[in-house]
Amino acid sequence: MEGSSSVTKKKSVRAYVLVFFALALITLIELLLSSMSLNLTRSLLNTLFVVFSLGKAVLVAAFYMHLRSDNRFYTYIFIIPVALLLVFALLVIIR
Amino acid sequence: MSVQNTAQDEHFRAGKALGLDHLKLGMWLFVGSEVMFFGGLIAAFLHYKVNTPSPVETALLDVTLVGINTFILLTSSFTVVLGLARAQNDDRAGLMRFLGLTALLGTVFLAGQVYEFVALYQEGVTLSSSVFGSSFFTLTGFHGLHVLIGVGWALATLAKAVRGGYSRDDHIGVEIFGLYWHFVDIVWIVLFTIIYLI
Repeated sequence: MEGSSSVTKKKSVRAYVLVFFALALITLIELLLSSMSLNLTRSLLNTLFVVFSLGKAVLVAAFYMHLRSDNRFYTYIFIIPVALLLVFALLVIIR
Repeated sequence: MSVQNTAQDEHFRAGKALGLDHLKLGMWLFVGSEVMFFGGLIAAFLHYKVNTPSPVETALLDVTLVGINTFILLTSSFTVVLGLARAQNDDRAGLMRFLGLTALLGTVFLAGQVYEFVALYQEGVTLSSSVFGSSFFTLTGFHGLHVLIGVGWALATLAKAVRGGYSRDDHIGVEIFGLYWHFVDIVWIVLFTIIYLI
């Protein structure tokens, strides 16, 4: 029992490390995209930045805030206001 | 008082009456309210960004400096979860090390933000100079205030660990602090994109 708990904790730490590298890599890509003059349209760049941002936020919430493994009720408490915020933001953008 | 009531009271005091940890539930409800708080500020910023574009002021933003600051805040979230993992392993020294590192990284982030604010003020972008200035400083300022509170909370958690607090079976305090800190990190991930990248 003790052994399996220790293995689970090691897996958690490994996941934390992998998530950290993923976050660092995405941030680096964002900085490169914003500083390099690539032949990408502004709307494509903006879409990429929003996707990267959502990806990073989901990684932090799922792994560092343990929403992936915790009670689903906590996820609902977090997601409902976020969904409302996205609706408001969308309304501002398409107006 | 009936026997059943007494049992329920004990269950409540143990923090399990809802089948959820009460402290964690309270923290998540607070985080939900904070989403609405920052949601209002972000919606206002986006509204002004779309309807009153400020290309001159936007060009003054130092994306590289803020990108490095973003990396520092992401690293501080990493140190918090490593600290929690140490607490779950009964390694108090490790917990204290990572909490101290978290407070340090939070302070460095704040120093970077102060540097950015001073540079913008020297360029004439102030809280009252324009719609951009007002919405920018309000949004990033409130986030900075949250980081400042988080640094204080990290130090308070560290102080409890120094006094012998937290163990394999009692580390909810570290977890609750972590939830707050990671939320502040997520807010910054969003702000970095909508203010500096888009």
